[in-house]
Amino acid sequence: MKGHKLRLALLLSVSGLFLLAWIFPIFWSLLNAFKSEQDVLAYPPKLIFSPTLAAFRDVLFGPTSIVPNLVSSFIISIGTTIVTMVLAIPAAYALARLRVPGKKWSGFYVLATQMLPPVGIIIPYFLILRDIGWIDTYQGIILIYLSFSLPFAIWLLVSYFEDLPFEMEEAAFIDGASRLMTLWRIILPQVRGGVAVTVVFVFLNAWNEFLFAVVLSGNVVRPVTISMFNFVSVEQTLWSKLAAVSALAMLPVIILGIIAQKHIVKGLTVGAVKGGGRR
Amino acid sequence: MTARGLVQLEKIVKKHGSFEALKGIDIEIRPGEFFALLGPSGSGKSTTLRILAGLDAPTSGRILLDGKDVTGADARARDIAMVFQSYALYPHMTVAENIAFPLEMAKTPKAEIAPAVREAAAKVKIDHLLDRKPGQLSGGQQQRCALARAIVRKARLFLLDEPLSNLDAMLRLATRVELKKLQRSLGVTAVYVTHDQEEAMTLADRMAVFREGEICQIGRPADVFAAPNCIEVAAFIGSPPMNLLTTRSTAGGVLIGGRHVPVAASLEAGRAVVVGVRPSAVRFDPAGIPVTVEVVENLGDAAILDLTLDGTPLRARYDRFPLPREGETMAVSFAPEDIHLFDPTTGRRI
Ligand SMILES: Nc1ncnc2c1ncn2[C@@H]1O[C@H](COP(=O)(O)OP(=O)(O)OP(=O)(O)O)[C@@H](O)[C@H]1O
Ligand SMILES: [Mg+2]
Repeated sequence: MKGHKLRLALLLSVSGLFLLAWIFPIFWSLLNAFKSEQDVLAYPPKLIFSPTLAAFRDVLFGPTSIVPNLVSSFIISIGTTIVTMVLAIPAAYALARLRVPGKKWSGFYVLATQMLPPVGIIIPYFLILRDIGWIDTYQGIILIYLSFSLPFAIWLLVSYFEDLPFEMEEAAFIDGASRLMTLWRIILPQVRGGVAVTVVFVFLNAWNEFLFAVVLSGNVVRPVTISMFNFVSVEQTLWSKLAAVSALAMLPVIILGIIAQKHIVKGLTVGAVKGGGRR
Repeated sequence: MTARGLVQLEKIVKKHGSFEALKGIDIEIRPGEFFALLGPSGSGKSTTLRILAGLDAPTSGRILLDGKDVTGADARARDIAMVFQSYALYPHMTVAENIAFPLEMAKTPKAEIAPAVREAAAKVKIDHLLDRKPGQLSGGQQQRCALARAIVRKARLFLLDEPLSNLDAMLRLATRVELKKLQRSLGVTAVYVTHDQEEAMTLADRMAVFREGEICQIGRPADVFAAPNCIEVAAFIGSPPMNLLTTRSTAGGVLIGGRHVPVAASLEAGRAVVVGVRPSAVRFDPAGIPVTVEVVENLGDAAILDLTLDGTPLRARYDRFPLPREGETMAVSFAPEDIHLFDPTTGRRI
């Protein structure tokens, strides 16, 4: 009994430490977003200061407003998510249900796409997009994001589809449903948790992406991750504005995280413990 | 409307790789008939049903429904309803939505769906549970929901794969009776898979007894019981199963326990035969062949006696009280009409 309590205390303090290490930079950045530029640079750091929304006002409504960048990020992320899901759902279903040649290797292909260092493929991607004239276009950047998100989404969804009993689909066929109707009415409602998790991951990956965005976009397509550059110049770095931008960029991530929290936790366990995550 | 639900399976073969799950099945099921596919585990009953349903394709052979070749047709084009062993209810839909699903797929007008759902649910007595989800039902209620979903569309053929095997013994008996009544009242052709010979005997108008991908015998349960046409069927039908003794024939009879016992069939003397006698057909007769009582299984109103006759085991049903004691010596005899004879090499009935 005593050992149990000790273990719990140890566990709590270790995880508390990790949480602190993880949360501190975010907390610091948020704090800076509410400071004036002078307060940010003050030494020793000021913990007590008069909070101001000036930084937010400037980055939203000032001459270098990031609102167009937020819109750009939304277009890219939502576009990537929609195209990914429309293609990934039928593909994952097929992969889970049909005897497709090469099925065994598809899992490795997914891992491979996730392991490749992006720097290694960025030049070929750049050349391809340049040749078809899609540099700095939405379709261009979405296409590039698809090459990562699609395999990942399929791989994630397959495990959900594989968990569903065959007999339920067969019952639907006998009840007169077509394959597509079965997918829509019987299968998808039962894997909606998995679909939600996949949507969140795909959206967030697209939203947070930086490296490809820097190289493959420019003036038309300019997501919020790049817009940070607006506040970094040779002469100076506008720390509090930078912090305000990152706070605004984090906002959708946090909102999405809270909405999908239940599904995400379940979704992560499904991968680990088969079937454990479904109701 | 009449003569709807005629099923013909012609030379159905199903191979999984080199393994032959079905080795050429021929069955004809008449409209309105309650037909059972009976056999031990792995004998190919479910495979046959799935091929009939259109969920699997046969390797060769033809399937005809009402005279029309449907071998290559999709499950949904066959106008068949099915109850799965696992029930396969749609967990995200309510009972009412589950039952309505086949009607929706058949594009039944909205106004007709609700009354049809209510009627089907009432037939299986779950009309008070329509708003529940399958997860909130007991096993027996889920089974009824699956039944309601199957009967709501008035399909021409009703397939059931061991629908009672997940119910407890009491509920199984009660549901068995209701199932039979339901099928009678609907007048629909039913094909029923079971490995429980008692279920097949009580429910079926006719049955096919499977063994290792082949059909041993097709017939009315009473006929199959009275005259099993091979050793496997004899051993499978009846509870407890038939006694099978390997012995030799004599002029006009067989040797049992060293004695000549007359039989009805004409046999040449001196050939090897397998003699089959049902436990209920063993007669206790002081002038008969001596046996020793090894074990007495008291069933309450009768008992199953495990006897040894000249060193070979023999089971008998005994319903006179008081029951004999274990170790006691008794004597049995066999009437010629109760003796089934089989060829030990071919297994066929003689
Ligand atoms: N996909 C498959 N691949 C290989 N063999 C299979 C496959 N499906 C079924 N079989 C084999 O076919 C045979 C018949 O199976 P089937 O399911 O029809 O048996 P059954 O009579 O319904 O048995 P049970 O009473 O256990 O349900 C079995 O030996 C089984 O192992
Ligand atoms: Mg089976």
